[in-house]
Amino acid sequence: MNQKKVIDIVRNNGIILVILLLIIITSIIERNFLTFNNLLNVLRQVSVVGIVACGMTYCIIGGAFDLSVGSVVSLSGVITILSINAGTNEYMAILYGLLAGVAIGIVNGILISSIDGRTGEAFIVTYGMQVVVAAIALFPSNGLFISGRISPGFFKSMGQGVMPIVIFLCLAAFMEFVLVKTKYGRKMVFIGSNLHVAKMSGINVKFNRITFFAISGLLASLGGIVLCSRVTSSNPTVGLNFEMDVIAAVVVGGTQLSGGKGSVLRTVMGAVIIGIMGNALNILGITAYHQQIVKGLLIIVAVGMDILNKQIKLREMAHDTVFAG
Amino acid sequence: MSEYVLEMKEITKTFPGVVALDSVSLRVAKGSIHALIGENGAGKSTLMKILNGVYTANSGELFLEGEHLLLQGVRDAQEKGISTIFQEFNLINTLSIAENIFLGRFQGRRTIDWKKTNRDAQELLESLGLDFDITKPVGKLSTAEKQLVEIAKALSFQAKIIVMDEPTSSLTKKEIELFFPIIQKLKDEGITVIYISHKLDEIFQICDTVSVMRDGRIVGESPVKDISREQIIELMVGRAMEAEFPLRTVKPGEKVLSVKNLSRGNALSDISFDLYKGEILGIAGLVGAGRTELAEAIFGADPADSGTIEIYGTPVSIRSTQDGKQHSIGMVTEDRKETGLVLDMSVTKNITVTKLKAVSRGVVIKKQKEAAVATEYVEKLNIRTPSINQTLYNLSGGNQQKVVLAKWLFSNAEILILDEPTRGIDIGAKYEIYCLMNTLTEHGKSIIMISSELPEVLSMSDRLLVMHKKKIKGELRGKDMTADKVMQLVIE
Repeated sequence: MNQKKVIDIVRNNGIILVILLLIIITSIIERNFLTFNNLLNVLRQVSVVGIVACGMTYCIIGGAFDLSVGSVVSLSGVITILSINAGTNEYMAILYGLLAGVAIGIVNGILISSIDGRTGEAFIVTYGMQVVVAAIALFPSNGLFISGRISPGFFKSMGQGVMPIVIFLCLAAFMEFVLVKTKYGRKMVFIGSNLHVAKMSGINVKFNRITFFAISGLLASLGGIVLCSRVTSSNPTVGLNFEMDVIAAVVVGGTQLSGGKGSVLRTVMGAVIIGIMGNALNILGITAYHQQIVKGLLIIVAVGMDILNKQIKLREMAHDTVFAG
Repeated sequence: MSEYVLEMKEITKTFPGVVALDSVSLRVAKGSIHALIGENGAGKSTLMKILNGVYTANSGELFLEGEHLLLQGVRDAQEKGISTIFQEFNLINTLSIAENIFLGRFQGRRTIDWKKTNRDAQELLESLGLDFDITKPVGKLSTAEKQLVEIAKALSFQAKIIVMDEPTSSLTKKEIELFFPIIQKLKDEGITVIYISHKLDEIFQICDTVSVMRDGRIVGESPVKDISREQIIELMVGRAMEAEFPLRTVKPGEKVLSVKNLSRGNALSDISFDLYKGEILGIAGLVGAGRTELAEAIFGADPADSGTIEIYGTPVSIRSTQDGKQHSIGMVTEDRKETGLVLDMSVTKNITVTKLKAVSRGVVIKKQKEAAVATEYVEKLNIRTPSINQTLYNLSGGNQQKVVLAKWLFSNAEILILDEPTRGIDIGAKYEIYCLMNTLTEHGKSIIMISSELPEVLSMSDRLLVMHKKKIKGELRGKDMTADKVMQLVIE
């Protein structure tokens, strides 16, 4: 039985173990790797992806998917920077950016829940939204980089120092609490596990699903704003392919793509792992192209493990039902 | 040589923590149709999985035609003459009948000799008296026809014994009538059939011998002609059952629900009826008559286009399942696995989902409150589960069904719509569900019971509505509640 426990731990945390190995090797080769400053640096780098990934985690646990987050990151940055440049109060500027994200999320949610869409439909609808929003983000500046006229204040502080990390970790802790402890979280898990059961249990499936997308949109725009604050400018194409990094963080964290199972805290781990891996590979002098390959493989392995785990569980269940009958 | 084609001697099989088979001995006479019957979990499947090589027994011996038999897996068993036809067929829908029969052992060297393959397949089917186009893809066949292809496949292995696991469970009455002569034909050719079924009628119709299993043992064996239906049931459940259905004693009270002129698209047409407090109102009819659609319209899952619903005389608007729940309606769906329960979640979570508010403080769910609720209902409904945190996969169908009931009782539903409440659960559990229905109505709940099993609705209902083609064709009560009257209404 003890052996089985060890196998279970490896199975459930395989990726983390691989990364631990990588960390150990890297820290032996390069002493600068395991320093507080370097790790803080990694955290800062992943915090924007992490913030967006928290919203994505809700979407995926709720049985859907949101590919539009990358474009929302771009658009919210553009809106906020343009508003500030136009002389709007910085809080209002941030609010406009956030509202744009929420609005896009709500549209996604209404479209998908009105057709009772699952992961597949959500994939396509939000992909369409991604293309549309990416284009909208290009209009104001004709696709050019917009430099912000930012004076010190709340907006500027959002992206500086440890603020992005604080925002990211506080948000994640709050969202994990909501997921695990509240009625809303429980409903999310039911909806993601089985839409029909949720509906037939008297849960307002449509409304709840719209909120998942709204939250995803909200956090994507928050991510975009933090990013802009860090570089005090906005680039309307900054969110290009961003959603892939976000999904990678969620998947590596072990949230099930089929919905109903997952954790925001594990998404945080996923984001950190990807960050550490990139950093370690950098330190080891591996080129960016090779790094891409490693990252891609990591995602495939993560999904593979997910499916493998499910199959093993199914087999155990089949075995159980023999005598449970 | 012994007269028994198969002898299983003192087979014991344990799984971690459970004795699935406890020294089971079974002898099957050559050329007989031998019924194996027992409740879910009695050990039938495990025994058969030892016979077809899926499992190896911990101890005990197998003899086939007097010879000691050691099996190395399913294929080995097949080659030695023991074939099994599972409920889930082992056929590939995109391949032809002939290809399916000879899958993995095609005739010819190097290249497949299609002529011989097809000819052999044709001969096999003809020997069963069947005239199929062997080049037709299996996916285009009906369930009944697929079953026959499985039988032909078994024959292609020169099967001496064919195990059939609930072969008629998804066949229509007509198909069953065509299926039985084929089993008879197998018997005439000296092939032995082990027939696993829940349907007692069938056993009396075609089987020679019946063995009853309970709790991993064989508790009785008899020629079918020497045993009665009641005796078999008694052996299965381990105690005398006075009746298959408990008596109804509740006298219906005031009017609770009144449905007037309910219509929806081409699913429901002008439905009106009343439901009284403490009443069980049965709804009978053929599959597709609109019974489930009616239930879903009342519950709000698929609201009606027109018509009114009154609860205690007040018109209510039910546009969604939240509305239905709000108005104290609960629905136990016909497919508990797809729409009733999330099977990989715990008993507790499945029960409390209908009224999370009651187990929360503010927005936060309180674990202790949840546990208390779950414990209460597990005890009240006698749900047999190792713990309230057990995932539902590991519970039997009957206990799962009780969890569905529990979630609606917890929501305080006054009107319970039960759609096929005893589908796929064994006799003992059915009786428990019936008794529960009685208890609930005694406590003032009102039940609408939809069922395709006529004896069940006829015995349990105080009144019976018969639906046909989206309409209520008639209402039967008292002495008029007979199968004949129902059929007359459906046929007219």
